Amino acid sequence: MFDFLKKVFSNDESSSRSRANDRLRVVLTHDRIGSSSQLMETLQEEIIALIARHIEIEGTPEVHFITEGRHTALDISIPLKGR
Amino acid sequence: MEKKNSESQVIVVTSGKGGVGKTTTVANVSTGLAKLGYSVVVMDLDIGLKKLDLILGLENRVIYDIIQVVEGECTLKQALVKDKRFPALYMLPAAQTRNKDDITTEQVLAVCNELKPDFDFILIDCPAGIEQGFRNSIAAADKAIVVTNPEVSAVRDADRIIGMLESANFKDIKLLINRLRPDMVRSGDMLSIEDLMEHLCIELLGVVPEDSGVVISTNRGEPIILNDRSSAAQAFNNIVHRLLGKEVEFMTLEQDSFWSKLKRNLGFKN
Repeated sequence: MFDFLKKVFSNDESSSRSRANDRLRVVLTHDRIGSSSQLMETLQEEIIALIARHIEIEGTPEVHFITEGRHTALDISIPLKGR
Repeated sequence: MEKKNSESQVIVVTSGKGGVGKTTTVANVSTGLAKLGYSVVVMDLDIGLKKLDLILGLENRVIYDIIQVVEGECTLKQALVKDKRFPALYMLPAAQTRNKDDITTEQVLAVCNELKPDFDFILIDCPAGIEQGFRNSIAAADKAIVVTNPEVSAVRDADRIIGMLESANFKDIKLLINRLRPDMVRSGDMLSIEDLMEHLCIELLGVVPEDSGVVISTNRGEPIILNDRSSAAQAFNNIVHRLLGKEVEFMTLEQDSFWSKLKRNLGFKN
């Protein structure tokens, strides 16, 4: 019963509309800068390798795109080990 | 023909993807402007795949085409086809047996400049695609209407087109969402107006709901904007007024149903 109510009342995460939105977000970001998901992996590996050559990294570094309007930026978060 | 404004506006209607409603938009917006007394010419640049003459119901009046104009076989005035209903509306037909490369950007610009002294509005029906036909269509325009449908493939192409228009230094790019089905949006099976705005991030010119009347009006060669009772006609009328700089409220397509009220009252996110 609760599941039924949730389906009726909420913006179902599995609806085809939200799937369309998710897929568009990814594809438009890549289209706009002419990249691919393969490039993201390569970028992540190379950026982390570069930083690690100079400073010690602690935890899991994250590299992803953020978009604002029609503009895209690369968001890099690399936790560093304290002494 | 009497021109209302000293300045002419050249507007290209484009989309990237085919079949989203470019020609329907051109036919209805131009008819709507002519109905209000503006002098309007529509230029069909879909060389080789022309449709505008059919949608406007003018196919039997076509004698010359734009390629014959630029090749000097006839004058521009001879090629212009006068609309049946509105004396201030003219069409410059595309050639059907030629292709997009048979006309250059410079030639399109020259034709446009020759039309400007006589018309308030020049609307360009752009072919699908991003090749020569698209480049020709945007070269002469200073404003763009990007037509899209609420589906992923059309949105992706629209995004590409918007990017290309921005690279070509267009400052005035507006979005027209065509064939929206509010019932499907409500049931979570179609991208909403807000979704499209979030993805494409340009100003909204209007939303035309799916309307079976469009097929009927196309069969007859009478733009649907002339049929006062249809919702698509109302949407196109609003679009015409917004193009003229008037503030027109957006139609409430998503009706405030019992369910949506209940949902809101219960505090669920809409």
